[in-house]
Amino acid sequence: MIKKIYLIGNPNVGKSVIFSRLTGVQVISSNFPGTTVGFSKGYLRLGDEKIEVVDLPGAYSLEPDTPAEEVAISLLKEYPKNEIAVINIIDSTNLERNLLLTLQLIAEGFPTIVSLNMCDDAVHRGIHIDAEKLEKLLSVPVVSTCAVTGAGIKLLIQRIKEAAAVSRSKLTHEESWVEIGKIVEQVQRLEHRHHTLREAIEDASVRPVTGLIMAAAVIFASFHIVRFIGEIIINRIADPFFINIYRPLLEKLTVNWQEHGFLFHFFIGELVDGKIDFKQSLGVLTTAPYIEFGMVLPYVISFYFILSLLEDIGYLPRLAILLDNLLHRLGLHGYAIIPVLLGFGCNVPGILSTRILESKRERFIASTIISIGVPCVPLQAMIFGLLGAYGGLYVAGVYLVLFCVVLILGLVLNRTLHGYSPEFLLEIPPLRFPPLLVLMRKLFYRIKGFLIEAVPVVLIGVMAINILLYFELFDSVTGLFAPIISGLFGLPKEAIVALVIGVLRKDVAVGMLMPLGLSAKQMFIAATLLAMSFPCIATFIVLWKELGFKNLIKSTLLMILLSVIVGTILNYLILR
Amino acid sequence: MKKISLIQMKADHKGKVVEILGGNNLQQRLMNMGIYRGREVSKLSHIGLKGPVVVKAGRSILALGHGVAAKIIVSCE
Repeated sequence: MIKKIYLIGNPNVGKSVIFSRLTGVQVISSNFPGTTVGFSKGYLRLGDEKIEVVDLPGAYSLEPDTPAEEVAISLLKEYPKNEIAVINIIDSTNLERNLLLTLQLIAEGFPTIVSLNMCDDAVHRGIHIDAEKLEKLLSVPVVSTCAVTGAGIKLLIQRIKEAAAVSRSKLTHEESWVEIGKIVEQVQRLEHRHHTLREAIEDASVRPVTGLIMAAAVIFASFHIVRFIGEIIINRIADPFFINIYRPLLEKLTVNWQEHGFLFHFFIGELVDGKIDFKQSLGVLTTAPYIEFGMVLPYVISFYFILSLLEDIGYLPRLAILLDNLLHRLGLHGYAIIPVLLGFGCNVPGILSTRILESKRERFIASTIISIGVPCVPLQAMIFGLLGAYGGLYVAGVYLVLFCVVLILGLVLNRTLHGYSPEFLLEIPPLRFPPLLVLMRKLFYRIKGFLIEAVPVVLIGVMAINILLYFELFDSVTGLFAPIISGLFGLPKEAIVALVIGVLRKDVAVGMLMPLGLSAKQMFIAATLLAMSFPCIATFIVLWKELGFKNLIKSTLLMILLSVIVGTILNYLILR
Repeated sequence: MKKISLIQMKADHKGKVVEILGGNNLQQRLMNMGIYRGREVSKLSHIGLKGPVVVKAGRSILALGHGVAAKIIVSCE
């Protein structure tokens, strides 16, 4: 009787894609080791039964080396072996390395079924695997699958019940590799192929000179495409909608309302020159939707489109190799680039994915760097929207300041924290080109997640500000902080409101700066401070969970200290 | 036949792993990823002076930090 099905396999063999196929639950999958750092659950209908399916993070063996692997292995041991089935997913293009875990699973007595995944890619590369023979040699069911297209999944489901524990002697690692060599020799046939273009690119991307040229081109192109798509959505879709359709509609609906009544103030806000100004009115139906849908969402779409593409192609680990040198000086190693890049989308998944780093020290450094020096997409979109009006140099300036802060912070943390950073040890996945449909599904899933999290918080944020403004409750609070805000940073004292609201969400916070009529310099300082200072509440909670209370406090103190120093320096020394 | 570390080996050369210096932990991690005594590896590249070394072992491409690469001793022609 199977009560639970576990999906286990080496990193980056497509476990999450199989999981989505089996359960219909969409999870993020990519082409790099370590996409899944937690686990997801879903249900599979097997005849009349509904069985829970658990997608585990990738593991090379049953002895864990990273926190993500620990998660996988501890979960696997939660239930008695006779009540579970284990689907061991194997990358057909790299049978040899994958079989180590398979042999361990079978020897440990887990009821196992093997899914020979990515069989289409194997054929492309001239690798032929005799699944029947493999089944005989392993004495557990073996099914060829291609999760991305769905081939073989039905058969896999049908045969899950055949998974049963078989007896096989436990081997040492050396013995296992010898055994694996024998198995591979019998079941795998390699067609001789000439180097394809894809293989030539794969090679070039990990060599110093060609690799750096490619990296520069990829980063440059990504940045421009993100801006290009974002601007097209704003100029062609979002702005025309808000100005030509939404604004006249609101004006019609509220034509009979008193302009200074509470309801009007609450929903529409202050009129600017007798008209609704989406950036300055601060109403629940005006500024709130405009910030989220008119300014932030377009960039969320374009950013995640490019990030998802790079993830699925398998380029990111290649970037990690090239950056290893630099990141080593900051107490990290090359692979830390993955959490950092995810952090540019949203700090929360970025900090979660620091679990792919081995030591606590690295995770502390990476998480702190992300929460202080890496602005999330909503914040960046607002910075582009507001600061861009004063000229691109100011926008570039914010990034430059943040980059310097990250460098200094990393160098200092690396010198002062106890311990050392472990060495870089990473498998580089082959380059793959994802079907557009797969890419779009992932993009859709991420945007849905963004909207569910962002919209309510933005509404609450704008609502709070709106009510405070109406009842004129600000002056008493803002006065308290005036010495710091105005004295050190040269900002109007009302800017404290934005910094405080930043605790909720950064995009609303920048929105709060819009009606203040700041000068270019003030806007620059305020945007930089918002990027660096206290993280939003969601990031804060994740930091707490991942680092523990003591480290959270350390991280937060660093954040406050750095914000004050940088804000003051910018105000007094650099921008006179 | 000479014994050298992966750092000293030239790019696009092949060698057989004869020894892995360093603790059990490292040996095991490398073992799990498919690098063990007797395994033939070829070096693809070395990024920068103190950067990682990229090797091919079987069908896997692995990036090894400088320190790790220095601990892997190979014999080659």
